[in-house]
Amino acid sequence: MMTFEDLSTQLQQALGDAEVSVLDRTGTMDHFTVKVISDAFEGKNLLDRHRMIYQALDAPMKDGRIHALEIQAKTKNEAQGG
Amino acid sequence: MSTPIEDEINKEIAEHKILIYGKGTKSAPQCGFTVETMEFFNKYGYPYELINALPSPEKREALSKMTNWPTLPKVFINGQFYGDTDVLGPMEEKGELQPLLKAAFPDQAT
Repeated sequence: MMTFEDLSTQLQQALGDAEVSVLDRTGTMDHFTVKVISDAFEGKNLLDRHRMIYQALDAPMKDGRIHALEIQAKTKNEAQGG
Repeated sequence: MSTPIEDEINKEIAEHKILIYGKGTKSAPQCGFTVETMEFFNKYGYPYELINALPSPEKREALSKMTNWPTLPKVFINGQFYGDTDVLGPMEEKGELQPLLKAAFPDQAT
Protein backbone atom coordinates (compact mmCIF):
# COMPACT_ATOMS: atom_id res chain seq x y z
CA MET A 1 0.00 0.00 0.00
CA MET A 2 1.03 3.55 -0.67
CA THR A 3 0.48 6.19 1.98
CA PHE A 4 -0.10 9.86 1.17
CA GLU A 5 3.25 10.49 2.76
CA ASP A 6 5.10 7.96 0.55
CA LEU A 7 3.54 9.51 -2.49
CA SER A 8 4.40 13.07 -1.51
CA THR A 9 7.94 12.11 -0.54
CA GLN A 10 8.63 10.42 -3.86
CA LEU A 11 7.32 13.39 -5.80
CA GLN A 12 9.25 15.87 -3.69
CA GLN A 13 12.45 13.90 -4.16
CA ALA A 14 12.00 13.95 -7.91
CA LEU A 15 10.77 17.52 -8.27
CA GLY A 16 12.72 19.37 -5.62
CA ASP A 17 10.53 22.18 -4.36
CA ALA A 18 7.21 20.47 -5.05
CA GLU A 19 4.10 21.19 -3.00
CA VAL A 20 2.04 18.03 -3.19
CA SER A 21 -1.52 17.33 -2.16
CA VAL A 22 -3.02 13.89 -2.51
CA LEU A 23 -6.59 12.64 -2.54
CA ASP A 24 -7.78 9.05 -2.31
CA ARG A 25 -10.46 8.84 -5.00
CA THR A 26 -12.00 5.51 -4.16
CA GLY A 27 -11.22 4.83 -0.50
CA THR A 28 -8.96 1.98 -1.56
CA MET A 29 -5.65 3.87 -1.46
CA ASP A 30 -4.71 2.95 -5.01
CA HIS A 31 -6.68 5.48 -7.07
CA PHE A 32 -5.22 8.88 -6.35
CA THR A 33 -5.58 12.45 -7.41
CA VAL A 34 -2.33 14.35 -7.01
CA LYS A 35 -1.99 18.10 -7.24
CA VAL A 36 1.61 19.11 -7.67
CA ILE A 37 2.89 22.67 -7.63
CA SER A 38 6.50 23.04 -8.63
CA ASP A 39 8.71 25.43 -10.53
CA ALA A 40 10.30 22.36 -12.12
CA PHE A 41 7.29 22.56 -14.48
CA GLU A 42 8.26 26.01 -15.74
CA GLY A 43 8.48 26.06 -19.54
CA LYS A 44 7.15 22.52 -19.86
CA ASN A 45 3.88 21.58 -21.49
CA LEU A 46 1.28 19.48 -19.70
CA LEU A 47 2.32 16.26 -21.40
CA ASP A 48 5.88 16.64 -20.16
CA ARG A 49 4.79 17.69 -16.68
CA HIS A 50 2.67 14.58 -16.38
CA ARG A 51 5.54 12.46 -17.70
CA MET A 52 7.76 13.85 -14.93
CA ILE A 53 5.19 12.80 -12.35
CA TYR A 54 4.74 9.36 -13.87
CA GLN A 55 8.50 8.89 -13.90
CA ALA A 56 8.79 9.87 -10.25
CA LEU A 57 6.15 7.26 -9.43
CA ASP A 58 7.35 4.62 -11.88
CA ALA A 59 7.96 1.89 -9.29
CA PRO A 60 4.59 2.03 -7.47
CA MET A 61 2.77 2.33 -10.79
CA LYS A 62 4.51 -0.72 -12.20
CA ASP A 63 4.01 -2.92 -9.16
CA GLY A 64 0.34 -1.94 -8.89
CA ARG A 65 0.44 0.03 -5.64
CA ILE A 66 -0.93 2.88 -7.74
CA HIS A 67 -3.70 1.70 -10.01
CA ALA A 68 -4.83 5.04 -11.32
CA LEU A 69 -3.62 8.57 -11.03
CA GLU A 70 -5.36 11.80 -11.82
CA ILE A 71 -2.91 14.64 -12.16
CA GLN A 72 -2.87 18.40 -11.86
CA ALA A 73 0.52 19.99 -12.40
CA LYS A 74 1.09 23.70 -12.03
CA THR A 75 3.94 26.11 -11.51
CA LYS A 76 3.84 28.38 -8.45
CA ASN A 77 2.83 31.27 -10.64
CA GLU A 78 -0.02 29.40 -12.26
CA ALA A 79 -1.24 28.13 -8.90
CA GLN A 80 -1.52 31.73 -7.68
CA GLY A 81 -3.62 32.47 -10.70
CA GLY A 82 -0.82 34.51 -12.25
CA MET B 1 12.56 -0.25 -38.29
CA SER B 2 9.09 -0.35 -36.87
CA THR B 3 7.59 -3.58 -35.63
CA PRO B 4 4.31 -5.00 -37.01
CA ILE B 5 2.51 -3.87 -33.89
CA GLU B 6 3.82 -0.32 -34.27
CA ASP B 7 2.69 -0.38 -37.91
CA GLU B 8 -0.75 -1.45 -36.77
CA ILE B 9 -0.87 1.39 -34.22
CA ASN B 10 0.33 3.97 -36.74
CA LYS B 11 -2.33 2.82 -39.18
CA GLU B 12 -5.04 3.14 -36.53
CA ILE B 13 -3.82 6.60 -35.57
CA ALA B 14 -3.90 7.67 -39.21
CA GLU B 15 -7.38 6.23 -39.79
CA HIS B 16 -9.17 7.93 -36.90
CA LYS B 17 -9.16 11.68 -36.35
CA ILE B 18 -9.97 11.15 -32.70
CA LEU B 19 -8.67 7.90 -31.33
CA ILE B 20 -8.83 6.69 -27.75
CA TYR B 21 -6.87 3.66 -26.64
CA GLY B 22 -8.70 2.57 -23.54
CA LYS B 23 -10.00 -0.32 -21.53
CA GLY B 24 -13.10 -2.02 -22.89
CA THR B 25 -15.41 -1.06 -25.73
CA LYS B 26 -17.87 1.78 -26.31
CA SER B 27 -20.79 -0.41 -25.27
CA ALA B 28 -18.89 -2.01 -22.38
CA PRO B 29 -16.13 0.26 -21.09
CA GLN B 30 -14.13 -1.35 -18.30
CA CYS B 31 -12.52 1.62 -16.64
CA GLY B 32 -13.82 4.83 -15.14
CA PHE B 33 -11.21 6.91 -16.93
CA THR B 34 -12.20 5.41 -20.27
CA VAL B 35 -15.83 6.36 -19.58
CA GLU B 36 -14.73 9.86 -18.59
CA THR B 37 -12.81 10.21 -21.84
CA MET B 38 -15.77 9.03 -23.93
CA GLU B 39 -18.03 11.52 -22.13
CA PHE B 40 -15.48 14.22 -22.74
CA PHE B 41 -15.68 13.69 -26.50
CA ASN B 42 -19.40 12.90 -26.61
CA LYS B 43 -20.21 16.50 -25.82
CA TYR B 44 -18.37 17.72 -28.92
CA GLY B 45 -20.27 15.47 -31.28
CA TYR B 46 -17.31 14.61 -33.48
CA PRO B 47 -16.87 10.94 -34.34
CA TYR B 48 -14.24 9.13 -32.35
CA GLU B 49 -12.94 5.59 -32.17
CA LEU B 50 -12.26 3.65 -29.00
CA ILE B 51 -9.82 0.79 -29.34
CA ASN B 52 -9.64 -1.72 -26.52
CA ALA B 53 -6.01 -2.13 -25.47
CA LEU B 54 -6.76 -4.67 -22.76
CA PRO B 55 -6.55 -7.88 -24.85
CA SER B 56 -2.99 -7.21 -26.04
CA PRO B 57 -0.18 -6.61 -23.53
CA GLU B 58 2.24 -6.26 -26.48
CA LYS B 59 0.17 -3.44 -27.87
CA ARG B 60 -0.06 -1.67 -24.51
CA GLU B 61 3.71 -1.95 -24.18
CA ALA B 62 4.32 -0.62 -27.70
CA LEU B 63 1.89 2.25 -27.13
CA SER B 64 3.56 3.24 -23.87
CA LYS B 65 6.95 3.21 -25.56
CA MET B 66 5.79 5.24 -28.56
CA THR B 67 4.18 7.92 -26.41
CA ASN B 68 6.45 7.78 -23.36
CA TRP B 69 3.22 7.66 -21.36
CA PRO B 70 2.51 4.76 -19.00
CA THR B 71 -1.26 4.82 -18.55
CA LEU B 72 -4.51 4.25 -20.42
CA PRO B 73 -6.51 5.90 -21.83
CA LYS B 74 -4.29 7.50 -24.43
CA VAL B 75 -5.83 10.03 -26.80
CA PHE B 76 -4.68 10.90 -30.31
CA ILE B 77 -6.16 13.81 -32.23
CA ASN B 78 -5.31 14.18 -35.88
CA GLY B 79 -2.34 11.85 -35.50
CA GLN B 80 -0.92 13.69 -32.51
CA PHE B 81 -0.71 12.34 -28.96
CA TYR B 82 -2.47 14.41 -26.28
CA GLY B 83 -2.30 12.24 -23.17
CA ASP B 84 -5.61 11.93 -21.35
CA THR B 85 -8.41 14.11 -20.01
CA ASP B 86 -6.10 15.55 -17.34
CA VAL B 87 -4.29 17.20 -20.25
CA LEU B 88 -7.30 17.76 -22.51
CA GLY B 89 -9.42 19.33 -19.74
CA PRO B 90 -7.01 22.21 -19.05
CA MET B 91 -6.50 22.62 -22.83
CA GLU B 92 -10.26 22.92 -23.21
CA GLU B 93 -10.40 25.54 -20.44
CA LYS B 94 -7.76 27.59 -22.22
CA GLY B 95 -9.63 27.29 -25.50
CA GLU B 96 -6.80 25.32 -27.11
CA LEU B 97 -8.74 22.16 -27.85
CA GLN B 98 -11.59 23.52 -29.94
CA PRO B 99 -9.34 24.79 -32.78
CA LEU B 100 -7.55 21.43 -32.83
CA LEU B 101 -10.82 19.58 -33.28
CA LYS B 102 -12.00 22.03 -35.91
CA ALA B 103 -8.76 21.51 -37.80
CA ALA B 104 -9.22 17.75 -37.58
CA PHE B 105 -12.75 17.97 -39.02
CA PRO B 106 -12.66 20.88 -41.47
CA ASP B 107 -15.79 19.74 -43.32
CA GLN B 108 -18.10 19.64 -40.32
CA ALA B 109 -20.17 22.55 -39.13
CA THR B 110 -20.35 21.41 -35.49
